Amino acid sequence: MRLFTHNMLSSNIKGVANGFPLRIEVDQVVEKQVDFHPDFLRNMFPKLEWKALVDAARTMGYTELPEEADSSMLESEEFLRKLHHALLELHLEEGALVCPETGRKFPVNKGIPNMLLHEDEV
Amino acid sequence: MVFCFLRSYRFTEATWKAFSLPNFAFRGVCHPGIFKPMRGIKVKGLSSLRTLVSDGESHVQPMPLVEEEKVSSSSVQSTPEIEKNYVHRVYDAIAPHFSSTRFAKWPKVATFLNSLPSGSLVLDSGCGNGKYLGFNPDCTFVGCDISGPLIKICADRGHEVLVADAVNLPYRTGFGDAAISIAVLHHLSTENRRKRAIDELVRAVKKGGLILITVWAVEQEDRSLVTKWTPLNQKYVDEWIGPGSPRTRSSSSITLESIPETENNSKEHEKDTESLNHKFKGTVPSTSKDVSSVQNQQEYVDEWIGPGSPRIRSPSSITLESIPETENNSKEHEKDTESLKGTMPSTSKDDSSAQNQQEYFVPWHLPYHRAEVGGASACALENGLAKKDDKKGAVVYNRYYHVFSEGELERLVSGMSNAVVVDRFFDKSNWCIILQKTL
Repeated sequence: MRLFTHNMLSSNIKGVANGFPLRIEVDQVVEKQVDFHPDFLRNMFPKLEWKALVDAARTMGYTELPEEADSSMLESEEFLRKLHHALLELHLEEGALVCPETGRKFPVNKGIPNMLLHEDEV
Repeated sequence: MVFCFLRSYRFTEATWKAFSLPNFAFRGVCHPGIFKPMRGIKVKGLSSLRTLVSDGESHVQPMPLVEEEKVSSSSVQSTPEIEKNYVHRVYDAIAPHFSSTRFAKWPKVATFLNSLPSGSLVLDSGCGNGKYLGFNPDCTFVGCDISGPLIKICADRGHEVLVADAVNLPYRTGFGDAAISIAVLHHLSTENRRKRAIDELVRAVKKGGLILITVWAVEQEDRSLVTKWTPLNQKYVDEWIGPGSPRTRSSSSITLESIPETENNSKEHEKDTESLNHKFKGTVPSTSKDVSSVQNQQEYVDEWIGPGSPRIRSPSSITLESIPETENNSKEHEKDTESLKGTMPSTSKDDSSAQNQQEYFVPWHLPYHRAEVGGASACALENGLAKKDDKKGAVVYNRYYHVFSEGELERLVSGMSNAVVVDRFFDKSNWCIILQKTL
């Protein structure tokens, strides 16, 4: 699971009012280089919950993202490179995503979050 | 083998007690035949496949399963038993084989994906083996599917995926730029669930975002495919007394046939039914007014349901006879298909009933060399969710389908306040719409 996915995921357990952001529990992080794709970054930026991304990246061991960001920063190649790395090159390989309201853990194994709910959660 | 047998028999007893359903003579009958065939299964990985078949005609039939499930489900998001047993578990079991057959890209889906702006985030809900993930290299894809084994295949190919339910997407609202739902909605057994899945797609994309939805059509271009499917109908739901009904070993090697037994069945089918009744007479005791369907279901029991079969409360969970047919894409079975044609109702005869029939079991043939002994297929055989077909050398699974009539997709979305249909078309025996989120 990469962090742009984390920025989209939300706990959808019945009764949970705000299931975002899921807290990340890290057992293993893997880094994989991918092609730089500024269109994607510029397109994603307005939709990102920035604080959630910064916190998630920090949890994954990456601390280069600025605490605050605005769209003017998209002009900066350096910023885009950092954003690229945070969103696309960090993988939560093993760990869990934790519902902020209920504490329910969604396991992440081999990079795959299992977001299926139990019968009593829907 | 003996141990296996005993274990499964005990399991059966316990299961039945748990469900406290009548199990009649079934309980006491040990059927060695069930296990014998299992020896033929080679142990290996599973595999799988699904057909891109569709069938067809356009009238909407009242959907018995829909109504039943509404009653039995506490929530539209609760997965009905029929989907667990005849969609999820099947795909889990056949995932590698299924995936090995899923590579052809449908041109209209390709066109849609290629039309998206560079940098788009595309959500593929029910992505299966992920054949569309990454299709447009200028876009970023996230796939989800309820089948862990299928998602594993996607992940092994390097795709960004997660295990999630299409009727309850774990996504915050408006994050996706576009979404696709390819051959997914027809696996949902109630109209409310199909609607809900569309609602979820709309919710997940941004305002202005496009959503492509494709579903198998009643109107199949290759009509012969439909004869390989098993129609589900109210009679089965109402009168089928379950796999625990008296089991009788049929001495004849039976070719189970597709019998279009709809309530509003055509007269033409009575002939087929009669001939089948005749064929089965004397081998299977009838316990229902609906002689033909029960007899065929007896065959289903004989051939498919072992003593380890779970009893399922849902009236729609187990029904049906099996169909000795193969997918249109498995060449290995073509010979069998040919030889069976003589015994199957003709395509033309099926047309009339198919017009009103939308609920089906569609078989999946998992070749023995792909079936895993001690794995999912062995379990499925033990609990009655799959059947061996020694003639074909395959484990046969049934997959639940609700095939869509013309205009049905549009009707599903007609009440939506935040999305409009911007295109609709028929492609490769599929009905397709493109929705745009407006608010």
